[in-house]
Amino acid sequence: MSTTLLHDAAERALALMRTHGFDGAQVTASLTTQDEVNISHNEPSLLRSTEVRRLALLGLVDGRKASTELSDFDADAVRQRIAGLFADASSAPQDAANAVSGGQRARIVQGPQQGDLGLLADKAAELLAFRARETPRMMLDEGAALHMRADSRTLTTADSDLSCCLGWYALSVFGTARDGAQSSSFNYTGGATNDLRERHAVEYFAIDEMLRDTERQIRTEPIGANFVGDVVLMPNAVANLVSWLLGQIGDVQLIAGSSLYRDRVGALIASPLLSLQSRFDAPGVAALSADAFATPPVEIVREGRLMVLAPSLYGSCKTGIPHVPTASSGWDLAAGTTPRDELLGGVTRGALVGRLSMGSPASNGDFSGVIKNSFAISDGRVGTALSEVMISGNVAQMLRDVAAVSRERLDTGAFRLPWLRIANLHFS
Amino acid sequence: MNQAVQPTPAASTYVETRRHELRKSRLVMIDGSLAMNSRTAEGGISSRVYDRGYWGFASAPDSGQGTNLEQVGRKARENARTMARFGPRTAFGLPGGSYRGEHAFAGRPALSQKECVERLAELHAWCAKRYPALKSTLFMLQDEHHSKWLSTSQGSEVLNSIQRAVCYMTLTAEGPDGAPVEMLDRISGKGSLADLDLSIEALAPVLDRLHEQLQDKRHAVSARGGLHTVVMGPDLAGILAHEAMGHPCEADLVLGGAMTRDLVGQPVASELITMVDYAHSRDGEELMVPVYADDEGTPARDAVLIERGRLTDFMSSRETAARLGITPTGSARAYNPNDEPLVRMRNTAILPGSSKLDDMIAGVDDGYLLLKTSNGQADSTTEFMFGINLAYEIRNGKVGRAIRDTTVSGSAIKVLSSVDAVSDDMQWTCAGYCGKKQPMVVSMGGPAIRARAHLGGE
Repeated sequence: MSTTLLHDAAERALALMRTHGFDGAQVTASLTTQDEVNISHNEPSLLRSTEVRRLALLGLVDGRKASTELSDFDADAVRQRIAGLFADASSAPQDAANAVSGGQRARIVQGPQQGDLGLLADKAAELLAFRARETPRMMLDEGAALHMRADSRTLTTADSDLSCCLGWYALSVFGTARDGAQSSSFNYTGGATNDLRERHAVEYFAIDEMLRDTERQIRTEPIGANFVGDVVLMPNAVANLVSWLLGQIGDVQLIAGSSLYRDRVGALIASPLLSLQSRFDAPGVAALSADAFATPPVEIVREGRLMVLAPSLYGSCKTGIPHVPTASSGWDLAAGTTPRDELLGGVTRGALVGRLSMGSPASNGDFSGVIKNSFAISDGRVGTALSEVMISGNVAQMLRDVAAVSRERLDTGAFRLPWLRIANLHFS
Repeated sequence: MNQAVQPTPAASTYVETRRHELRKSRLVMIDGSLAMNSRTAEGGISSRVYDRGYWGFASAPDSGQGTNLEQVGRKARENARTMARFGPRTAFGLPGGSYRGEHAFAGRPALSQKECVERLAELHAWCAKRYPALKSTLFMLQDEHHSKWLSTSQGSEVLNSIQRAVCYMTLTAEGPDGAPVEMLDRISGKGSLADLDLSIEALAPVLDRLHEQLQDKRHAVSARGGLHTVVMGPDLAGILAHEAMGHPCEADLVLGGAMTRDLVGQPVASELITMVDYAHSRDGEELMVPVYADDEGTPARDAVLIERGRLTDFMSSRETAARLGITPTGSARAYNPNDEPLVRMRNTAILPGSSKLDDMIAGVDDGYLLLKTSNGQADSTTEFMFGINLAYEIRNGKVGRAIRDTTVSGSAIKVLSSVDAVSDDMQWTCAGYCGKKQPMVVSMGGPAIRARAHLGGE
């Protein structure tokens, strides 16, 4: 399906919704194509090519709302679904907060628009060759080199018109190191990039470091005691903190009144070392919100101070909090001034944490989790890999207790994150 | 079978073609406001080819005209051949035989969105009146219906239908310190939302209990971190089965180096533990996620993973079974129309024993009663974890104070080997998703279990 046909499909669907009598409507026609070379158990295994097309419709009738999606663009199918949508919306409760975006304009063309299958195969081969040569005890259970192209056009009855042609490459690896009967925990890394040619495959997303670290995690020890200590979180674990914070400032928690930060804009909610801002032009990210707004850059936390909450248009109308449109991902936690190696120097007793294996933290921030792909730290030195060690604490408190931020960051597209040193976690 | 599609074998060793429809409804009501009111329908056609040791896969929207089928089949073959650039790869004969049959759940006629909205509004209004001090309520109704028409070059012709519905109920109160405290419960079942009893009469006892638990949790204390005797309620045994030994018994993880590979025939649990991944039925009754033939057209069989404490079998696809030299269990399943089948669990359970839950609690001097879980994660080492969002202290055989959200973890082998009591009842659930490259609908079940496990805390 060509871009023109996609745009036509959106226009036709919006016209049909107008004709059907919707007071307001939002239509997105999208086409996503993907080519993916897969690795399975240290061998290239599968080439996967997929095409997904979708027509997403949201309709308002007398202040009532419903939405639907279909993959069949045939005119009769669309007409029939619009009639069903009208019935669904008509039966919903009236809600003055229901609205569609108005007057938004964006034309985004970003990233590699055409994938190079040969390049994907070359990168998969580089991953496999590196593993065999440098980390032979590593088993790549799964790996992928892929190109994705996501085209979309979004229209609303209030004259928003947003189009996007987004292309990107991605690499991912997931695996376990093994020696005889002993095995490490699984480990993984990956991310999106606009340029897959500029480096060796393992130099993206710290793949080389992950593979080497995992080989060092075959032999593990428990930590052996309950104590209060420090952690140095690697970026993968830092993402848990950032995701929890973003959830706290989004629709569900704000509407339910269960956000810890509902009345905290302008207040210090985190260490002054922390600044979180958007990066909605990151590889694989389009600067568009799900409710059809262009998403200008936004600063969430500046030197520990909460700058804004981020409800959608609906959440904003519901709560009276100013609307801050955000894209689906693309977040940047500012780099600090401490070299990564020096973060460890300040830890008397604790752990270097690669991954937190845990349930979702509670609304109040309480959490406990198993630390995986992690190493003990004693008097500033990294020791043995750990197993069966848990930490517990409170995420909101952890944000306040950040004691140092690394100069280096890991950029996966969705997140660009540093390493963080945080005090006062309960180890058990 | 009207809607079956025919594979085009060409010179390949194996070809499968799948036509897959996925329909979902999702409604979310927060404090009486309908935040989501959505119905989606996705249809796609896919082909997967195994040629000289390599797989090619392609998918496209289902045009209903046959054009995409031809294109998708050609692309899948081309993709498999393109992989030959990596050099020769061992090609396995793919075992597993074939299956012909159609299976669909005959449930009640689906609820309209209007009826769903009415159910949600009734639930909210009832809670607002009965529990006026609540800070908020959140109810979510969700169902999904997969219909997969599959043909394979080995002669399988299958219609598989998986249909499940879930109602999530979340009550939020304010703790003594002003911070929010939440409790979540859910009911789930086979079929559409019409097959769940969403009446106030049916849900009032569930909500009353949830509200009581919420009040307990408002005054919860921190767990003491470390190794403890825990009684895991029936809600937890299923996730214990799924996370602790289910994932490490998936043949692809076994091939990847999971510790279970060298443990077949060895004791990995107490003799009180028998664990099965059921294909479709137990004791003649169809389970929540019935798989009669998987998405490779393999006739599905039960996989007895642990029998009286000894590891006995793995769940497998055709290729992983060939690589391990075992008989396929029919466990290859794909979630979306554009997904390739992976080894996935179906209905995983620890079987009931002979103890009574009350006696199991009474036998604990100092420990914890764990009742509700959020999510979990497995590991190749068999070290597992799952979140606990409702638990109580046990002191001198009596249930005491609630504890704050925590996490239970441990080596599955150590924890299952420490089991000294298994209750004689059993509960099943099919809420939530299993995540492994793709999401997947699974069911899990089990009785209450008493064991030694590690709790996160102070």
